[in-house]
Amino acid sequence: MKLIFAVAISALFGTGAYLLLHRDLVRVVLGIVVISQASVLTLIAASLSRGNAAIYPLRGRVSDPLSQAMALTAIVIGLAVTGLLLVLVLRAVVAYRTQELDEIAAEEAARDEEEERSHQVRHDDEEAAAR
Amino acid sequence: MTALALSLLIPWAAGVVLLLADGRLRIVGWIAVAALAANLAALIVLTADVLGDGPVRVVTGDWPMGVGITLRADALGVLFALLSTVALLAAMVHEILEGVRERVFPAMVVLLGAGLTGTFLTGDLFNFYVFFELSMTAAYVLATYGGGRRELGAALVFTTVNLLGTFIFLLSVAGIYHITGSLDMATIGERMRAVDPDTGILVAAGFFVAFSVKLGLFPFHYWLPTVYVGSRPAVAAILSGGLANIGAYGVLRFGGEMLPRELELAAIGMIVIGCASILYGALLAVSRRTTREMLAYSAIGQVGYILVAVGIGGPVGFAAAILYTVVNALNKTLLFLTARMRGALVGAAFVVGALSVAGIPPAAGFVGKLQLFHAAAGRPTLIALIFLGGALSFVYVFQIYQYDFWRGERRGRRSGRPQQAVVAVLALAVLAVGLWPEPLLALSRDAAQVLPGARR
Repeated sequence: MKLIFAVAISALFGTGAYLLLHRDLVRVVLGIVVISQASVLTLIAASLSRGNAAIYPLRGRVSDPLSQAMALTAIVIGLAVTGLLLVLVLRAVVAYRTQELDEIAAEEAARDEEEERSHQVRHDDEEAAAR
Repeated sequence: MTALALSLLIPWAAGVVLLLADGRLRIVGWIAVAALAANLAALIVLTADVLGDGPVRVVTGDWPMGVGITLRADALGVLFALLSTVALLAAMVHEILEGVRERVFPAMVVLLGAGLTGTFLTGDLFNFYVFFELSMTAAYVLATYGGGRRELGAALVFTTVNLLGTFIFLLSVAGIYHITGSLDMATIGERMRAVDPDTGILVAAGFFVAFSVKLGLFPFHYWLPTVYVGSRPAVAAILSGGLANIGAYGVLRFGGEMLPRELELAAIGMIVIGCASILYGALLAVSRRTTREMLAYSAIGQVGYILVAVGIGGPVGFAAAILYTVVNALNKTLLFLTARMRGALVGAAFVVGALSVAGIPPAAGFVGKLQLFHAAAGRPTLIALIFLGGALSFVYVFQIYQYDFWRGERRGRRSGRPQQAVVAVLALAVLAVGLWPEPLLALSRDAAQVLPGARR
C-alpha cells in the first residue's frame, strides 16, 4: 500500500516538475496543478495506509479520517490558486501577445540593457564635463 | 481572548466587504486603513495581555482541547503580527495618498493583513497552512498591481515559484502528520523527541526550503530581484516588510518549537547558507545603480543575517534573529517606499534607512548588528563576516544615495507633503528604536523564550 502511494506520488511530482521546466506558460500552470495533486495525495497517504476506510459501520483497524478533511481543504485551495494563475497567464498573454516565457524574459533583458546604457551615457557625459 | 478573536475577525470581515467596493475611491481606501488600524489596536491590546498574563489560547468552535483548531497568541506571534500590520499600514497609506490605480488594492492589503495575523497567531499546523495560503493568494494579486507588462511578468514569476514552495511545504505537513499523528504545534514538538532524527531531517528540509523561498535566501532567491524591481514601490514594501516575515517566523517557530533537534543538526548548514546570502546580496547590491535593484539584492543579504542568528541558536541567537527581522522589515518598508519619491524629507528619510541598513548608530540597524555580534561572540570568522557584510552595505546604500540625491538622478515630480510625512514617520520609528532599544530588546528576548529550543 505504502509503496503504491509512494510510486504514484513521485510519478506525479516528477511529471509536474518536468512540465514546470517548459517555456510554454500553459504547461507551467499544468505542472503546478500536477504537483498540487501530488501533495494532496501525500496528505491522503499520510494516514490512509493504517487500516480500513473510516466509513460507518467501523470494522477492525480504521484509518484516520482527519487527513481526508485536510486533503479536501488542500484541493479547494489548489483549485482557487490555479484559477488565479490561469487568469495571470491570460493577462500576460494579452499584454505580451505571446505564451513563451523566453520572449517575456527577452523583453525584460532588453529593458534592463536600455536602462544600463542610459546610465552609462550620462556617466560618460559627466566624466567629459568634469575634464 | 476577545482581542485575539477581534484581531482575526476585523481584517477578514472588512476585507471581504471592501472587495465589493471600488478601491480607487479615496473614501474606500481610508475605510481600509481604518480597518487595518483597528486590527493594529486589537493586536496592541492582545500584546499587553500576553506580556501581562502569558500566552492566550483559544480552541475554535468550543471543541474540546486536542480536537478543535487552537489559536494561541504568545510573545513571538504577537510581535510578528504587530510588525507586519505596521508595514502594511504604512505602505497602504502611502499608496492611497499617491492615488490607488486598481479596484481591489485596499481590499487585498486588508486580506493580506488577515492572513498574516492568522499565520502568526495559530497553534495548529494545518491552520497555519490555510492562513499562509490566504496571505500568499492576496500577495499574488498584489504583485500584479499596476497592471503593466513589467508587473505582470514579475507576478507570474512570483506566483509560480511561491506556489511550488507552498506545495513542498504541504508535503512536509503530510510527512509530519504521518510521523506524529498530531497537528497541534506544541504536541508535535513533544512527540518529535521520540522520532528518529533521519526522518525528522527530511521533513525539516521541506519546511526549510519552503520558508527559504519566502525569505529569498541565496540559493532560493532567483525570483526575488525580478519581483521587487518589477512591482510598484508600495507592493515591494508590502512584500519585503510584511510577507517575508512569514519566512523568518516559520524558520523560528518550526525550528525552535517543533524540530529543535533537527535545527541543531542543521545549524552549520544554516550558518553557511546565511553567510552565502550575506556575501552574495552585498556584492551584487554594490554593482547596482538604481535604488530598487540595490534594495532587492540588499534584501537577499539582510535575511542572511537572520538565518545566521537562527543557526547560532540558543536564547541569544533566537533573540538576535527576532530583533533583526523587526529592524530589517522596518528598513525595507521605509526604503522601498522612498524609491520613487522626491523631496527634502525623502532624502533625510533615505539617509536614516541607509544608516540602519549599514548598522550605524543612531539608527535601529545598529542595535540589530550589535545583537548579532553578541550572538556570534567567540566565533571570529562569523564576526569578521558580519563586519564585512556591514562594510559592503555601507558602500552600496551610500553609493545609491550619492547617485540619487547628490547628482539628482531621481526623476519624477516632487512628492506631496502627506506622503513625505508617511516616510518621515517610518524614519522616526527607525530612529526611535535605535535611540531607545530597551522595549524591543525585552520583547525579542521574551519572544525567544517562547521557543523550547531556546532553553538549552
